[in-house]
Amino acid sequence: MTLQARIRTRLGGLHLECDLSVDSNVTVAVLGPNGAGKTTLLRVVAGLVPLDEGRIQVDGTVFEDTSTRARLTPEARRVGFVFQDHGLFPHLSVVDNVAFGLRARGVDRKTALARAHEWLERVDLARYAGSRPAALSGGQSQRAALARVLVTDPQALLLDEPLAAVDASGRLDLRRALREHLATFTGVRLIVTHDPLEAASLAERVVVLEDGQVTQEGDFREVSSRPRSAWIARMAGLNLLRGSVSSGTLLLEDGSGLTVVTDVRGQALATIQPRAVALYRTAPDGSPRNVLRCTVAGVDPEGDRWRIRLDGPFPLVAEVTPAAASELRLAEGGEVFAVVKATEIDVYSL
Amino acid sequence: MIRGVTRRPLLGLLIPAAVAVLFIALPLIGLLLHVDWSNLPSQLVSTDVLTALRLSLECSIIAVAVSLIIGVPLAYLLARTGLPGRRVIRGLVTLPLVLPPVVGGIALQTALGRTTPIGTVLDHFGIVLPFSTAGAAIAEAFVGFPFLVITVEAGLRQRDDHFEEMAATLGARPWRRFWQVTMPLAAPSIAAGAALCWARALGEFGATITFAGSFPGTTETLPIAAYTSFEGSGQIGMAITLSLLLLAISVLVLVVLRDRWLGALR
Repeated sequence: MTLQARIRTRLGGLHLECDLSVDSNVTVAVLGPNGAGKTTLLRVVAGLVPLDEGRIQVDGTVFEDTSTRARLTPEARRVGFVFQDHGLFPHLSVVDNVAFGLRARGVDRKTALARAHEWLERVDLARYAGSRPAALSGGQSQRAALARVLVTDPQALLLDEPLAAVDASGRLDLRRALREHLATFTGVRLIVTHDPLEAASLAERVVVLEDGQVTQEGDFREVSSRPRSAWIARMAGLNLLRGSVSSGTLLLEDGSGLTVVTDVRGQALATIQPRAVALYRTAPDGSPRNVLRCTVAGVDPEGDRWRIRLDGPFPLVAEVTPAAASELRLAEGGEVFAVVKATEIDVYSL
Repeated sequence: MIRGVTRRPLLGLLIPAAVAVLFIALPLIGLLLHVDWSNLPSQLVSTDVLTALRLSLECSIIAVAVSLIIGVPLAYLLARTGLPGRRVIRGLVTLPLVLPPVVGGIALQTALGRTTPIGTVLDHFGIVLPFSTAGAAIAEAFVGFPFLVITVEAGLRQRDDHFEEMAATLGARPWRRFWQVTMPLAAPSIAAGAALCWARALGEFGATITFAGSFPGTTETLPIAAYTSFEGSGQIGMAITLSLLLLAISVLVLVVLRDRWLGALR
């Protein structure tokens, strides 16, 4: 089963413009900052927001096609959409919530309730069948919401920030439960999240959406190790540089150059791990190393690795041990020399 | 919210505020002081009082039912759709709130009276509204139904259509969404609106007496009976008894339903 979407939609200040192909053999996470249009993307697929232009299709079913003016209403699309706040109906018991979709699609009450109970067993909520949703914790309500859409056997499962409404202590268990249910679901699986960790743990494939546009897609390791946008690089904790390579030098847009070891030619991106940036009080000499004169812009102590933000030819983040930081007497405004080995700079073409 | 700096009231405000409280309380105390408690039980179960009470309940319940049937759909359309002319309609619906009830009664007479086009048609089917029980109910509905529409509309506006969207993605068609999601979620505001509408209909006097008159057993509801015994036959004792009955019903509505129903208005 495959979801294929060509989406062009304007909504307020958002200009969503993305092409998406989601195969049912992998879980896909749409990852991006707040306001990038992730939720709108799901709402478009579910039919809650119309396309200005484009086409959405799941296997043989055309959900929407602006060229033929075909458009299925949300209720006619077999899509399981779990809202960020889970959207359990407050006036119905948990089991009636789960049975709602079946009843709406014409299943008789007795069968619908029986199947709803079955699903409540599967998500370990059988004892809450008669309760109101208000009595559930964040994680339980997420599982109930998941059961409510899965019981209808949808063609596509859409999860909007599945762990956002769950407190930190419940996340680990819920993430495991989610992974299990995602693994047994055979339809298209599309998750939206702003949390790279969530994307990494739930999905095999990541689509990065920023400001309504897809900036990168691929498997998570590829995306996080070779980011194509500043946002992803920051999320992955990497320094991202952009420039062009010629004869062993990466020439940056600000005019400075770095010695690199690479086969890449022309326009390129490069990442530097913060822990590969060494700091010195005085300029060291020698070898194929890049020495940058910087001032300390900020010190963020984080456990046994301190992150040092540097202002130099370009902004850079270094990671040092607390001992090294005190030995170097690092303080805001102080001068240091940052040293990066040519082999520590990962260059890839733009 | 009470802030620390305003917790100690200005004395200059305390005096007019005390007058305000007395202004409301004194007439009620006066009423209670003049009740002939020894004759009260026998007066309450007298045929006149029971007839007026039965008629009042009948008319006000019909008024609420009519208001629900036509008011809830209107409130829904005003709150949730891009109905053209919404602002004009909203203004029109609110008008009976500020219109002197007598004017309402006269207006109803000119629209539904026997000689009017609508009245003639109704007459043809043997239905006469003016000076009939049905007419009294219509007059009460006219005055009471804005309370229902305004309350229900406010209740519907409080929520966006989040749950309706959820229901749609679960496969529910528009009518199922309306009955299974929108209406149950609006139930508290519908109940509050119906209670206000009922209280207003029960106390309705001006429009009713103008449109339906005051015929004992047909259109003489409790407030009208209180007025006629006070003004016409000089039976102030009976007027006080009837007033006490209305006061008791009002207090009951207020006390029993205050938190649960009027809470929806906040």
